[in-house]
Amino acid sequence: MKKKVLTVDDSRTIRNMLLVTLNNAGFETIQAEDGVEGLEVLENCNPDVIVTDINMPRLDGFGFIEGVRRNEKYRAVPILVLTTESDAEKKNRARQAGATGWIVKPFDPAKLIDAIERVTA
Amino acid sequence: MDMNEIKEIFFQECEEQLAELESGLLKLNDGDRDPETVNAVFRAVHSIKGGAGAFGLDDLVSFAHVFETTLDCVRSNKLEPTQDVLKVMLKSADVLADLVSASRDGGSVDESRSRGLVKELEALAHGELPTPSAHAEAPKPAPKAAPAPAPKAEAPKPTDDSGFQPIPFSFDGFDADEETTLEGSTYEVIFKPRRELYSKGNEAALLLRDLSRLGDMSINCDMDQLPALDKMDPEASYFGWKISLKTTKSEDDIRAVFEFAEWDCDLDVKLSEEAASEEELPMIPVPFDLAILDEPSAAEEEEKSVQSADETVAAAVSAAETASSVTKAAARASEKKESAAAAAAAAAQNNAAAAAAAAGQTIRVDLDRVDRLINLVGELVINQAMLSQSVIENDTTGTSSINMGLEELQQLTREIQDSVMAIRAQPVKPVFQRMSRIVREVADMVGKQIRLVTEGENTEVDKTVIDKLAEPLTHMIRNAVDHGIETPEKREAAGKESEGTIKLSAKHRSGRIVIELADDGGGINRERVRQKAIDNDLIAADANLSDEEIDNLIFMPGFSTADKISDISGRGVGMDVVKRSIQALGGRISISSRPGLGSTFTMSLPLTLAVLDGMVVTVAGQTLVVPLTAIVETLQPEASSIHSFGATQRLISIRNSFCPLVDVGRILNFRATQANPVEGVALLVESEGGGQRALMVDAIQGQRQVVIKSLEANYTHVPGIAAATILGDGRVALILDVDAVVAASRGQSLKPEMSLAATG
Amino acid sequence: MAAKKASPGSLKLSAVLDLNEASNLHGKLMSMRGSDLVIDASGVDRVGVQCAQVLVAGVRAWEEDKKSFLVEKASDAFQKTMQLIGINIENLVAKEI
Repeated sequence: MKKKVLTVDDSRTIRNMLLVTLNNAGFETIQAEDGVEGLEVLENCNPDVIVTDINMPRLDGFGFIEGVRRNEKYRAVPILVLTTESDAEKKNRARQAGATGWIVKPFDPAKLIDAIERVTA
Repeated sequence: MDMNEIKEIFFQECEEQLAELESGLLKLNDGDRDPETVNAVFRAVHSIKGGAGAFGLDDLVSFAHVFETTLDCVRSNKLEPTQDVLKVMLKSADVLADLVSASRDGGSVDESRSRGLVKELEALAHGELPTPSAHAEAPKPAPKAAPAPAPKAEAPKPTDDSGFQPIPFSFDGFDADEETTLEGSTYEVIFKPRRELYSKGNEAALLLRDLSRLGDMSINCDMDQLPALDKMDPEASYFGWKISLKTTKSEDDIRAVFEFAEWDCDLDVKLSEEAASEEELPMIPVPFDLAILDEPSAAEEEEKSVQSADETVAAAVSAAETASSVTKAAARASEKKESAAAAAAAAAQNNAAAAAAAAGQTIRVDLDRVDRLINLVGELVINQAMLSQSVIENDTTGTSSINMGLEELQQLTREIQDSVMAIRAQPVKPVFQRMSRIVREVADMVGKQIRLVTEGENTEVDKTVIDKLAEPLTHMIRNAVDHGIETPEKREAAGKESEGTIKLSAKHRSGRIVIELADDGGGINRERVRQKAIDNDLIAADANLSDEEIDNLIFMPGFSTADKISDISGRGVGMDVVKRSIQALGGRISISSRPGLGSTFTMSLPLTLAVLDGMVVTVAGQTLVVPLTAIVETLQPEASSIHSFGATQRLISIRNSFCPLVDVGRILNFRATQANPVEGVALLVESEGGGQRALMVDAIQGQRQVVIKSLEANYTHVPGIAAATILGDGRVALILDVDAVVAASRGQSLKPEMSLAATG
Repeated sequence: MAAKKASPGSLKLSAVLDLNEASNLHGKLMSMRGSDLVIDASGVDRVGVQCAQVLVAGVRAWEEDKKSFLVEKASDAFQKTMQLIGINIENLVAKEI
């Protein structure tokens, strides 16, 4: 059975990398370009896990995570944030907003898959 | 899609982000304090850094990182984005752009420049606040190592039949062999999640699963804190675990399992003193073997049906999304269409889709393929015209259905042509954005303060025009900075703002794109220009020139007014070269200048270099094509309305005003003597740089769309002639350069051959 | 609260027993107290600790009520996770006294 991943990132480059990596690893991938679209897409996609960027237009990662956690139906979905190693502050804010875990950039396919495996059944 | 393609996407995205970055910084520079502007700027750099990291472009990453850190200070209001700060940032944006190109195309970046900027950026980040970068790099909080509530000494439940004492599990046949193969140490792990662990989407069961994968695990679940069913909060955390793990892995590996959870649980990991101590625990461990996790489960099979239902929903959703994005694109298209009303409707609509490329759906097509298509369509147009002509010549009845078919063919050909042209139409924005960097760099070199204001950057024009526009525009911008705008001291002395402004704008006007470059500098120094022209033997010392004519002298070959040849604009390239490049594009350039107030260069260019609507006329037995866009009206002169003026000049009176009559055949040397206006037709044209003229031709053959064939490319530049074309009967006809002809007719005081060379 | 005291109630567990399901499950168990209960865990695909907590609390409650609480059919996933988190599935049975 394919696990379903919702990715939220405004960078076309990163979106494509996520898509290729996740598809190669046998995941079904649904993509959104920012937090607002992420919350819209979420309503109908029922993901097993969400991967989101922090810096995005319209609604950033923190706001998006809070939105997911407020959602009766999806509040339990694990959320991984894409963040940079040095940014402990952002990591903390993301955790406070309700992030499950994080993937440290630069983007590494193995780390991504590993993190997803860790937070999903 | 492979990594190379993604890398290509990355570089494309970099271009967009760099544009975003620059325009954002310029907005900030103009006093925009919208947090979203700062955010967008920050995101642009952040995004470049993110992608660069993925591709291991370390130089790019490290510069972007420093830049980002400083931008973050602006974003968090720790650093006021003053003009000085923005100056550094704009330069940094330029270096970032260089680093991107270097990463893409190889080549190197001026290292001293980037190192210098890194220092400046760091100074900005450190200067006004207590080292934000140190803050950002602060080590993450040490994991809380508070010991889990120690298991109570006595047995958890007094009653044996309560059933909650952990019971040793024994599954047949999986425990024994594993244990013997495993070497390493035994760790004791105490793990007690807090409620937050679950509410953040972590799951203790998964953590225990990952832990079990590290080695041989036996587990005790501590259920002491579980309240009665009616007292419990179903979402609270009551269970804790005491785990004994025999593993070859290190303590760090064990802790790494809890990386995401360490803030939300009590965790203690330590080496077991001795294996025997386990037996003394009040709870009996449950050995656990990983193998059973990997067995296929019936439940998973069942879920497949559930899953496929989900997929159906998802498919429906994505279909709906597609539909909505199409609607969006259409909305954008129509918006755009209004703004570009001047352009052909079909073109505008398609162009708009291209403009929305960044956000909308696009495919990338090799330019070669588009060019091939355009060429073929050009041939098709010619072919269709030839076919029509031969049908008309051979079919004397004139009522056959062939004629109707031909008309439809013509219509279709036209539509195909418009659509194909629209493929190549692009906004001038990228070229305009390149100019702002040039302004910054040149202004820096000559110590001037200059702001570039751009307008109408979304105006679209054929890609070939855009590509060829950059060079003359660059030169003109350099000129404007170097010669046009005065030094701050001079400006202040003249009562102007010390910061000069250069305005670059683009708009569509009657089927052409008009680009204006205006500076608020000192204007053309006519006295000096005139003197220079006399010195260089370009004009006679006693020549009587109008202001406009003097201004236009700067377009003469080899003309340079700068007293000393400067580094910037004195590279042997004069305005004559600019004029030539513009003309090679089928364009015209003119200047208007007001002393003390500045100069404005106006360029008018065709939207495409491929086709032209023209009026086919006869002049002295030659067939010429006059661009339809230039023609205001055509009229049949009457003898009574022709007036002589001076020795050779003639005027025609049209509705109570007089308009100079230009004998095209004479100007182009098709004939030696002046034609009789009454025997010909006058084409009233609007010329760039002022006024109407009546072009005299012998006869009008008709209107036709012609495919432009460059003369420069195939022959050489001919004064007065813009290009050539092939007519329906296969004959070559020349396309008239209306402005050159008008200018030649006007430039009587200039040496005739010079006037043609300089202006035609 | 009190369901039919005579006939044993039965409860089929959802496929996903996650955080979201814990309150549901808790509510269902609360409403079924007072009579014997047969739990069908054959369709369970995922079990989170919080639902396990509710089930264990349920077993204790039935124990207290002196009613039987029996997990009759259990999927592999259910059994595996219970074992993983240190709960003996055979103990998810309240013995009638």
